[in-house]
Order: sequence, then C-alpha cells, then structure tokens
Amino acid sequence: MEKIHKPKKVFVQGPISPQFVADSIARHQSKVNIGAHAIFLGQIRADEKEEGFVTGIEYSAYEEMAEQAFHAIREDAFSKFDLTCMHIYHSLGLVPTGEISLFVFVSSAHRRAAFEASEYIVDEIKTKVPIFGKEMVGPVGEYIWKENK
Amino acid sequence: MEITINILYFGMLAEITGLANETWLVKDGLTVGDLKQEIGDKYPLIREKKFKVAVNQQIGDDGTKISFQSEVALLPPFAGG
Repeated sequence: MEKIHKPKKVFVQGPISPQFVADSIARHQSKVNIGAHAIFLGQIRADEKEEGFVTGIEYSAYEEMAEQAFHAIREDAFSKFDLTCMHIYHSLGLVPTGEISLFVFVSSAHRRAAFEASEYIVDEIKTKVPIFGKEMVGPVGEYIWKENK
Repeated sequence: MEITINILYFGMLAEITGLANETWLVKDGLTVGDLKQEIGDKYPLIREKKFKVAVNQQIGDDGTKISFQSEVALLPPFAGG
C-alpha cells in the first residue's frame, strides 16, 4: 500500500543551527531499519560583488505555494527513491554569511538511494520553489536580488 | 463582464509596485499574456524584469486563463537553497 505523507512544516525563521541538525540525527537512532543518512546543508557564502562582500541573505517566499511545492518534491522523491524518511528545512528572514539556510536530510536502508535522493531534492528546490533572496552587501545596507543559476 | 482578481507581488517586483498585493478589475476570460500587458502598462519597469506568473499557485504560461477570484502571483527568479 502506498504510504500517505502529510505536508510538513519546512520554513524556519532565521538560520538553521548545528544543534538542530544534531538533534534531528539523534531522533533517528531508534529507527534501526535505516542504514544510511545523507545530509545536505546549504551555507551562505561571502561572495564578492562590486559593492563589497555578501554579509547575508534575507529570504522571503510565496509561502503557500512554496509549502505545496515542497510537498510535491517530497512525494516525488519518495516515489523515485527507496527512502525510509525525509526532512527538509529552509530559512526565511536573514541568514548571515557562514550560517545554514537549507537542511535536507534523507534516510534509507542503503547509501545509493540516500545520495541520489539528496541531490535530486536540492536541485528541485532550487528550480521549483518560489523562494526569493536579497543578498546583503557591504556595510551600509545595499543589496542585490539573488537568482539561482 | 468584469471580474475581480487578487494579484500578489514578490521580491523585486513588490519593490517596483510598492505593494505586496492589490485587487484588480479585469475582463472575464483574460489570459496571463493579457495580464502581463496590463501590468506592464501600469508598471513599465516590470517589463524589463524576468518573472513567472502563478495562477492559483500553479505556474502558468501566456495562454493560461484567469477566472473569477483567481489568485495571481508575479514571481521573480527563485533563489532558494
């Protein structure tokens, strides 16, 4: 029988802390059918622009559509790969350089499905989820709207 | 017949319009392509921007029909991840 996956809350306000990631890993220690976790963490890079270095990204989203898009990506990934569980978290608001804005956590019995699913999910998020980002640049509050390549 | 639709603006597009959303009165049977023209007439700076249009949270193309009480969103390039 096909498993039904309820929509989950993806957005978190501000950066995703390393402690949150650690706690998520710890919560899976009781699930002993898992043999492989793959974790992808997106971190804010201090790119150099004409106006100065990027100091952080301020994220906003069309939240209702984004939650639906995340849900569709999850369903899709569950049907394509043999996964035990999957968690996606993305920041809203300001995330300073060096901090984490995306946390994708997939678990499977074996490594191949986990590796492949994590790459697939991150690529899908970048192209299909209506999230917008202002790259804050330099010391005086200038910014550039970011665009995924 | 005219219908009301709700238009949402995001990111740099909300900066151009100065609004997060507004209600428009438009012709029934309007398409996304028609609406883009009207928006470009009202906000000429938007014509220079790259954006997608979602109708009721689904990305549409120029032929997508907009109906009564549709929620139409103008989405600048995505930057998640």
